[in-house]
Amino acid sequence: MQNHKFLQRIFQAYYKEKKDSIPAVSSISNREFAFIPWNKEIMMRHIGFEDLPSLKQYIIKLGPRHMYSSGALYETPEHTNMDQKGFRGCDLIVDIDVDHFYTPCKTDHDIWTCKECQSSGKGMISKCSQCGSLKLSTLNWICKECLNIAKNEIIKLIYKFLVPDFNINLEKIHIAFSGHRGYHLKLEDEKIRTLTSNERRELADYLTGNNISFEILGFQQIQSNIYGFTGNSFDWSRKIVNKIKEILMQYSDDQITDLLTQLGISQNAIKSFIDSREHFLYTITSESHNIWNIEHFGIKTWKKFLEGIVKQVGVEIDEPVIIDIHRLIRYPGSLHGKTGFKVQELSLSQLDEFLPLNENDDALNPIIFESQKNMQKIKINAPEVPRTQIKGESYGPYVRDEIIEVPNHIAIFLICKEVATLV
Amino acid sequence: MSEKIDLQIELLQHYPWLPSLKELYHHIASKDPHLFISELFSEKADSIKQRFLKLFANAFENRESFDHFPINESNINFYLVLKILVYILNTDAITNRVANLYSKTMYKELSQENDYYLYQICQDLNLDVKYYQNSIQYRIRIIKDKKELSKTHFRIYFIDFLKLTSNLQDEYRKLVNNPISEGYIFILKQNLVRLLQEYVRGKILEIKGKEDQDITNLRETLLKIPHFKDLYEHIKNLWELKKEEFEYSIEIEFKDGERMDHIFPPCIIHILRQAQEGSNLTHTERLFLVFFLHSLKYPIKNIVDVFSTLPDFDREKTTYQVNFAKNKGYTPHSCETLKSLNLCKASEYSDELCLKGYYSKKHGEERKIKHPLFYVQYMHFKSSNKQYKNTAKPKKEKRDAKS
Repeated sequence: MQNHKFLQRIFQAYYKEKKDSIPAVSSISNREFAFIPWNKEIMMRHIGFEDLPSLKQYIIKLGPRHMYSSGALYETPEHTNMDQKGFRGCDLIVDIDVDHFYTPCKTDHDIWTCKECQSSGKGMISKCSQCGSLKLSTLNWICKECLNIAKNEIIKLIYKFLVPDFNINLEKIHIAFSGHRGYHLKLEDEKIRTLTSNERRELADYLTGNNISFEILGFQQIQSNIYGFTGNSFDWSRKIVNKIKEILMQYSDDQITDLLTQLGISQNAIKSFIDSREHFLYTITSESHNIWNIEHFGIKTWKKFLEGIVKQVGVEIDEPVIIDIHRLIRYPGSLHGKTGFKVQELSLSQLDEFLPLNENDDALNPIIFESQKNMQKIKINAPEVPRTQIKGESYGPYVRDEIIEVPNHIAIFLICKEVATLV
Repeated sequence: MSEKIDLQIELLQHYPWLPSLKELYHHIASKDPHLFISELFSEKADSIKQRFLKLFANAFENRESFDHFPINESNINFYLVLKILVYILNTDAITNRVANLYSKTMYKELSQENDYYLYQICQDLNLDVKYYQNSIQYRIRIIKDKKELSKTHFRIYFIDFLKLTSNLQDEYRKLVNNPISEGYIFILKQNLVRLLQEYVRGKILEIKGKEDQDITNLRETLLKIPHFKDLYEHIKNLWELKKEEFEYSIEIEFKDGERMDHIFPPCIIHILRQAQEGSNLTHTERLFLVFFLHSLKYPIKNIVDVFSTLPDFDREKTTYQVNFAKNKGYTPHSCETLKSLNLCKASEYSDELCLKGYYSKKHGEERKIKHPLFYVQYMHFKSSNKQYKNTAKPKKEKRDAKS
């Protein structure tokens, strides 16, 4: 409780001090707002505000742990019955959160513990490696590598999909660092706002490559020949061919072996693939050949391979978010209660260079409690805390009951992550 | 009158579902329905009736199309009356049938249109479609050293494409399987026409409404017009004769506290018993049971409870799956399908209604049960009318023989 009161107080102080820099979202009076306070594990939903000043007044008073606004616009956003809110459309919301996909650095910093057999380990797993139980508790951490992967996914989404395929005007795109493990993209466009959930599901499939049909795109076996893609079509096959070219031209043999092994392709087939890489590159760059015959690559192996390529080409979006037309997303400029970091809005030109854990531009720095002078004494209350690298400094790893003195922002981060308490 | 308006009028007389009808035929489209029908049926009522009866008969028979009509104002009148009829008949199954037939007919008509007219139709529908005088290439395939170039004259904005395809399930219409660039899908003429067919189907389906005072009032008012009433009654009779063959969205519904299982067919009884005994059920049995109980409007909780005795029961997962199935709105399998899936238990339970069928007074002949929901409907009808003389309904002892 003492921790929560402390955090609430400093969150309130932030909102009071920085009230002029809290941005307004468009059509603020038509958005639903929601808050999670510090004292209860509940979401206070169905709240509406006339304007930005009344919203600011509210958050200065509440100092909420989490703060959200809807992607949707409503006639009466404060109505508690969703059917009677008067839905007027929803922005397209894309959430890229490393929680939902594999990154290699998770084996360094994500810790899991089995609730059944108490065994623990590091990495991203879906069930206990010892007893097979699905009941796991996890401690997910952040590092510059995984945040960089998330950023690259957002960049891929914009420049490989939204702009070339859908001709989305860049001015309609709003991007924000979520304050924790990813990025949000909000697309504000009158026509896109009219899309239903089912229609958004189609967009999700397009962005991820889910439910793709290789046959419809032209992949087929005729007698003993496999006819592949040409790379000259305005559809997903072009993306697939470009990725294969990249692999053939840029990957080492070892990298190809690793990739194909991960895709579950047999060692014989991998050897044939590597032996044929020159010829295969010639074939897929040629405009007059597309017979993809490689020894040990039958139609099933090809599909396995292509599915793996699709996974690499597609964007790692959190699908339920893009589909849900009543979704709430973190409010830009608000603080994330699991880190104490700011939800930082970014322009496209700022995105490339943005480093959430080591940002030099003060205006973009999400670590708003940064202070090298103010030190805090805290006690570790989790069995194990991974190493944290923020602002070029490294902290930890720590173990339970350690009492440490760390800069203010690190103390706030660890208390927000609920692995430490005030001393 | 400008050339453009001439063209629009010609299109409207052919395709009266186009939005500009309201503007260019305001004098008809906004007329009081009673006055409109009265005037229309005051002359040539018989020929008008014959055309409608033919359309409804074809729809009820599930035919693919009906003879279209001369491209003139009568076609507009026909469409407007059709919408009124569908509205006051207010039966989902009829609306679906008419929507299918009418839209399929439109598909045939539209397929024969030249590109320019098709483009004008898209314009009228406010669809963002691009037309290219010279076809544009969007896909190359090489099969046996021969290049196959896919070209089209049409592209459609992806939002319009998504809206028109959202009810089409086939994977050819999935966005991920279609060629797209700069926001526009490359689309072949025949596929564009198929999307327009879907638009037309949607226009008729949107007439579906819950029975309310507006429908009742309009029906009462219009049925005061003798020729129209005659047509309406004819259609209703046609429907009564046909509906038992394919209308499985029955009106019998779950009521709290009221048991229904005594009127269930043996295929369902068998699955329910297995569940009660805690035996595992196959995926197909589970699906069939869920679709069946959904059709009878069983509450989600009650359906989930049926599965609670199963060895792998997980309430959360089951609730999700039952909800999912409900949202899909599938009807349960027909008897024919059940037989092919080996789920028919008519012989095992010596169920006489399933095995021998029943006597249809309407048709004056013995008929076979073709659907488990019709079994329920029939049993319910028999028991509620107290006419059940133990002729068709199998004896309870026999039904319980395997327990």
